[in-house]
Amino acid sequence: MSTKGALTLPARVLWHAFFWTYERATWQYDLMVIAILAFVWLTPPAWLGDPTASGQPGLLQLMLRLFG
Amino acid sequence: MTFTGAIGALCMFPLRQIIRVCVALRIHPNALTFIGVLINVVAAYFLATGRFITAGFIMVVANIFDFIDGKVATELGAVSKFGGFWDSVIDRFSDLALFIGLIYLYAERGRPDYVMVAAVASTFALMTSYTRARAESLIPKCKVGFMERPERIVLFMIGAFTNRMAAVLWVILVLSIFTVADRIIHTWRELRRAEREASA
Repeated sequence: MSTKGALTLPARVLWHAFFWTYERATWQYDLMVIAILAFVWLTPPAWLGDPTASGQPGLLQLMLRLFG
Repeated sequence: MTFTGAIGALCMFPLRQIIRVCVALRIHPNALTFIGVLINVVAAYFLATGRFITAGFIMVVANIFDFIDGKVATELGAVSKFGGFWDSVIDRFSDLALFIGLIYLYAERGRPDYVMVAAVASTFALMTSYTRARAESLIPKCKVGFMERPERIVLFMIGAFTNRMAAVLWVILVLSIFTVADRIIHTWRELRRAEREASA
């Protein structure tokens, strides 16, 4: 069995995400962009110790405040 | 059409008008490239002083110049080997200017951890270009890995406009490391395959 074949689905997704071979404007590219934007906007800045935004809530915290 | 494809098509509309104006004025593409880096240096100054929104708007302007130079060269029939070389070299300066702006900002705020994140991210951003350039002197194509210059620039803009530069730097850092690794592995595989075919 090849290395890739031995990987489970989540591991295969991560493999393709990090060892990227897709073109721009494909559905795989869209998914990657959504994942990156989710990380950038949902992660509370304090978790990353953001030097310029640490006092501000992340989008996730804002949503929890609004709907929680 | 995909989501990113639709955004690209939408952005192309005003860009086409700007390209048309530059072609009508017969502005040399190498001059456009150089104006782009100068504007990026101004954006870096605003990043360094923590004025992210202003920096974001200036980055948009700078990267319009960056984007259209190749298209203007094609339409003017001014495509040259030196133009391609000049564009690549100037792009690296533009990249570095933005990173240096952030390094200054974090150093000034007493955050050596983020000075390191920005410095390592800039190293791998440069290595992303270098690995491809060097690989393509050995193999026909090495266009693998996600984090190329357009992705980096759009991420910088998102980080500036939404004040999420730390998260953006982490994304650039991690994905640039994987892009460099990806290109090294791809080149190794292609060279090994070529050697096997030659010896068979």
